[in-house]
Amino acid sequence: MWKYIARRSFYMIFTVWVISIITFVVIQLPPGDYVSKIMNQMLQAGGSSATPHLEEALRAQYGLDQPMYVQYLKWLGNVLQGNFGHSFTYLKDAKEIIWQRLPMSFVLAFGSLILVIVLSLPLGIYSAVNKYSIGDYFITFMAFVGLAVPSFLLALICLYLSYKYGGQALIGLFSPQYVDAPWTWAKFLDLLRHLWIPVIIVGLGSSVGGVGGTAIQLRVMRANLMDELRKPYVDTARAKGMPEGRLLWKYPVRHAMVPFFSNIGWALPSLISGEVLVAIVLNLPTSGPILLQALMDQDMYVAAGFILVYSILTVVGVFISDLLLAWIDPRIRLGRM
Amino acid sequence: MSELLLEVKDLKIHFFTDEGVVKAVEGIDLKIERGKTVCLVGESGCGKSVTSLSFLQIIHAPGKIVSGEMVYYRQTPDGTTWEIDLAKLNPKGRKIREIRGAEISMIFQEPMTSLSPLYTVGNQIIEAIRLHSKATKDEARKQAIEMLHRVGIPNPDRLIDEYPFTLSGGMRQRVMIAMALSCNPTMLIADEPTTALDVTTQAEILDLIQELQQQYGMAVLFITHDLGIVAEVADDVAVMYLGKIVERGSVDDIFNAPKHPYTQALLHSIPKVAMKREDLEPIQGMVPSPFRRPNGCSFHPRCSKAMDICSQIVPAVTAIDDDHTVQCLLYEDVASRAEVERAQS
Repeated sequence: MWKYIARRSFYMIFTVWVISIITFVVIQLPPGDYVSKIMNQMLQAGGSSATPHLEEALRAQYGLDQPMYVQYLKWLGNVLQGNFGHSFTYLKDAKEIIWQRLPMSFVLAFGSLILVIVLSLPLGIYSAVNKYSIGDYFITFMAFVGLAVPSFLLALICLYLSYKYGGQALIGLFSPQYVDAPWTWAKFLDLLRHLWIPVIIVGLGSSVGGVGGTAIQLRVMRANLMDELRKPYVDTARAKGMPEGRLLWKYPVRHAMVPFFSNIGWALPSLISGEVLVAIVLNLPTSGPILLQALMDQDMYVAAGFILVYSILTVVGVFISDLLLAWIDPRIRLGRM
Repeated sequence: MSELLLEVKDLKIHFFTDEGVVKAVEGIDLKIERGKTVCLVGESGCGKSVTSLSFLQIIHAPGKIVSGEMVYYRQTPDGTTWEIDLAKLNPKGRKIREIRGAEISMIFQEPMTSLSPLYTVGNQIIEAIRLHSKATKDEARKQAIEMLHRVGIPNPDRLIDEYPFTLSGGMRQRVMIAMALSCNPTMLIADEPTTALDVTTQAEILDLIQELQQQYGMAVLFITHDLGIVAEVADDVAVMYLGKIVERGSVDDIFNAPKHPYTQALLHSIPKVAMKREDLEPIQGMVPSPFRRPNGCSFHPRCSKAMDICSQIVPAVTAIDDDHTVQCLLYEDVASRAEVERAQS
């Protein structure tokens, strides 16, 4: 088991390293860089001082005149020391921006993930056990509705409803008086009060990546369990005289969880990317909108920092789901698959 | 006179599918005596497995017992006998669960998939023991090791903590047998327990079942399509065709004096060592679709002795002697004539 964890950890570090190279290259692929953007702005503002000389000087100041691999190695060295570079747009440390926004994204994604599990697991099980019943058809119908409605539309509807019936539009994650306040119990409660709408929208909606939504996980669980319920080991357990409920949880559900959990590992990144649209509509202080803006502004260190942290989270998420799988299924643990 | 353990009367099991009703079992009668081995023989799809599943009420949807009785004569510790109609019990109820595994237990065709790969062998046997007794975990574990030892598994105290997927097919079937017998049942249903095994393992498993049957004195209902196995293990034989038992009798009756043309054809289709390949007589035609059951006697389209009336009249059960019955129009006259003679004398 320890060998397995050690081997997986090594692959994890390797994967993150490869991702960091690809990100860095891709971010720089669009023509121009931050300096050419500033030059454009200056020209548009009517300034005539945008001389090639100034451009060169700015590039040299930001280190953008060096070849890409040098920039990459410098950046990587800094990141390893915990320095994520400087934001051109905000004139702050990129690290500061990332740590300000990322926890909010994480809370939102994690909340949505819990909602996805809490809803899709029991509903999927119910659907499979009572297949072709009215309840199953209703759940299936709702799942397809959830799959078909875009999450930003759901967000707009929630916004409208909360304004019409709740008296105030539940925009953002905090009430105005708490936005800049230090963390207190009251602020935490205020966060919870605002959090449920985006959690429901991201969890229920069809997120961009696809596997994140409750609807899909529910259908996956239903299909898996229906397969498992036909397996001979279920007959064996039943022929032993096991009560139905205990039998269901001990055997087929645990079998059906294997593909379910490997999907959940992938759900985390798609929840984070699915959040962007919702965060823009609901004006949430999460990382999605900032990342989008940074990419448009060619604010490369902020963008690269976010993407690096995302990819670490994703790889760790997949690792955790693999550990869960190994715990559930001894065939994986003992390397027999 | 031996004691009756299970008596099936006019059992009907239908599958209500979208395409129509499949009459998988169409009124069968069967008697199983304490300590005896009954073989249920037939081609694939004749309803023999469904029949065996129905005794434990574990038929899969959309299958349902639509009518008939399955009277189980349960012996209480004080020596009296209770009659329970298994067909009337709720499949999810407590009563049938007390019988499953404890009094009637079952082993299946596929030892590779009949055990869950997610739990150790021990976990699955101990579970069976503790469902039906008040044994503690340690006691149950000791019993489980003892059972594994009895079914001839080497190093049972080590193997009990292995996962099923590390064992061979034969070993898994031994584990299944150990699990099935762990609560000392009065009847074991073995649904083609050797079909998925290779020939030498088959013989070992058959010997094991017979040996344990003598030790424990349980009845065995053996479901198979292999007449070689029938000859080896059976006391009584029931031959099934398309949901009906066409002939029933002792193993001697069936092999030495088969009456029904289907039984005769089955026996002729077994290859023997000193036989030329051309002498083998396969049964002509195919098993008809369960949706289009032939009128009259359902075997008549494939029967070499079919008469015109066979397509119109459903044969009744005809008694050849006390424990040999057949459902075939060829014998109905014989029997009624005998009855008339008996009445006259």
